[in-house]
Amino acid sequence: MKNGGKVWSWFWMILGIVYFFLPLVATFIFSLRAKKGVLSFLAYQQLFNDSGFIKGFSYSILWGVLTIIVGILIFVPTAYWVRLRAPQFRTAVEFITLLPFVIPAIVFVFGLVRTFSHPPFLIVDSPVLLIAGYTVLSMPYMYRSIDTGLRSIDVRTLTEAAQSLGAGWATILFQIILPNIRVAILSGAFLSFAIVMGEYILAQYLAKPAFAPFLAYLIQEKAYEPAAATIISFALTWACMGIINLFGRGQQTQIAGGH
Amino acid sequence: MTHLTLSNISKQFGETAAVQDFNLEVEKGEFVSFLGPSGCGKTTTLRMIAGFEIPTTGKVTIDDADITDKAPNQRDVGMVFQAYALFPNMSVAQNIGFGMRIHRESKAAIKQRVEEMLALIHLEKKGNSYPYQLSGGQQQRVALARALANRPQVLLLDEPLSALDAKIRVQLRAEIRSIQRKLGITAIYVTHDQEEALSISDRIVVMYEGKIEQVGTPFQIYNFPQTAFVASFVGTLNTATAEVVDPANRLISMDGIQLQSAEEMEGMQKGDKVSIAIRPERISFAAQEKKANILDCQIENITFLGSVVRIQVLVGKTHFYMDTFNNPFLELPKIGDKDQVTCSREAVLVLKA
Repeated sequence: MKNGGKVWSWFWMILGIVYFFLPLVATFIFSLRAKKGVLSFLAYQQLFNDSGFIKGFSYSILWGVLTIIVGILIFVPTAYWVRLRAPQFRTAVEFITLLPFVIPAIVFVFGLVRTFSHPPFLIVDSPVLLIAGYTVLSMPYMYRSIDTGLRSIDVRTLTEAAQSLGAGWATILFQIILPNIRVAILSGAFLSFAIVMGEYILAQYLAKPAFAPFLAYLIQEKAYEPAAATIISFALTWACMGIINLFGRGQQTQIAGGH
Repeated sequence: MTHLTLSNISKQFGETAAVQDFNLEVEKGEFVSFLGPSGCGKTTTLRMIAGFEIPTTGKVTIDDADITDKAPNQRDVGMVFQAYALFPNMSVAQNIGFGMRIHRESKAAIKQRVEEMLALIHLEKKGNSYPYQLSGGQQQRVALARALANRPQVLLLDEPLSALDAKIRVQLRAEIRSIQRKLGITAIYVTHDQEEALSISDRIVVMYEGKIEQVGTPFQIYNFPQTAFVASFVGTLNTATAEVVDPANRLISMDGIQLQSAEEMEGMQKGDKVSIAIRPERISFAAQEKKANILDCQIENITFLGSVVRIQVLVGKTHFYMDTFNNPFLELPKIGDKDQVTCSREAVLVLKA
């Protein structure tokens, strides 16, 4: 019975791995077949020589970084304040943070365009609207990561301890709270980054250069390069996840004994 | 000289009155404990001194300066928390020096003070360790050093030993007291542990349901409790209902058994119902020494508590405990034996309701 259970565990695990990796491996092999008869990195070479790819990729990285900065500046104080001073609003705030899962991105982007395409909010052409949109889309990941991080420390007592030593709000936030939820912020940041890198609708309809719209264009125009771009995109996401894990391991020991 | 004053302090949380009409004057360098059960308002009062709660009415002053509405970071008050509250991202030395860095003191001054504080708490070699590398007792010592490093006017300690095991608790409370005496700092200590309060304090404020029940030295609180609550909360106590027989001669009757007290019974009339209390250690066997009150009893139970043997006796219809020092060469009575116990007039306390 025990052995039977073990066999089934292995079966389901292998099935899962095959299901997940097979398309990826197939895509990777396909991306290497740009040169007839041999496996080569030609598609990757061509991709990196394409100014559209470099532009889309660089802009997406820029949008991603800006989204992370804006997200941290908005969600860390919000989550901190809700936890410390307004716990009665926690359910409401959590509901709001989940709205991007409920509202389709296309509805959201048309809402943005309609609202911000005439005075007094004429910012539809500005990257500000794009960053604001990305911040909203990444909100469920960013807010929840930060909130989980805050849950792992005794926010109230640490705050009061710092206050009794003379610290003001900015010092408490930047010297006490932020460093102690570093891992949570990084998790939220990398997830946000992955969201921005793969987001298509917002960049497309707000007519801003980004990686996903370029990929969509590439799929229509070429055969091997889109496969290469997909692999690069996957590699980037995995690198982000790897970094989250790497930072996560170090912090766990510290937080566990820290309070 | 009065250092810290709390005048007519009250705190209302919605419909609940957490603290009511709290008045206290604390001398400079005095160690005062707030003692009481959970929910009696002791921590709320401490938090009002720290500035984490604003009193609904009343005034908090330090050296005659009104600090009632000042923010916690403007008060010059150090605080030690039950949960240590060390900053996990900072080393021990950084934790201790945090307050001084906030006050923009020079690096050299911070370094010197941190070294002084580390020596004071006997953790000279732990400056570079992180909180998670220290034991609970060590963490609390660092928290104490951190609170003292700024040279605050008043040190507040909110049940600082509750999270520690018994042995460390006893050791650390002696250390806290010795450091407080050495620095001459005014300290307010919150605890629900009567033994802790009795052993560490210059004065104890016993609180119950948001009000002060009694303020006094540990000796006064233990030996002369003024209310039934203080008597029952501090130490083990035998209590019974009795009736005043002769107020002038301080005679009372408990189920028909006459007892003489040393307490004033001004304003009391014959027949008035009163509560009486006798500490177990103030009752002894009449065979050893006869005192003013001699009562017939029956031995109900004997409990060995190490240095003390607690004997439960039935006097009339009332169960009393008596404590006697453990003497291995003295024969103890047997359960069911009939005997006589005795206590002095001073041992019979007549309590306010």
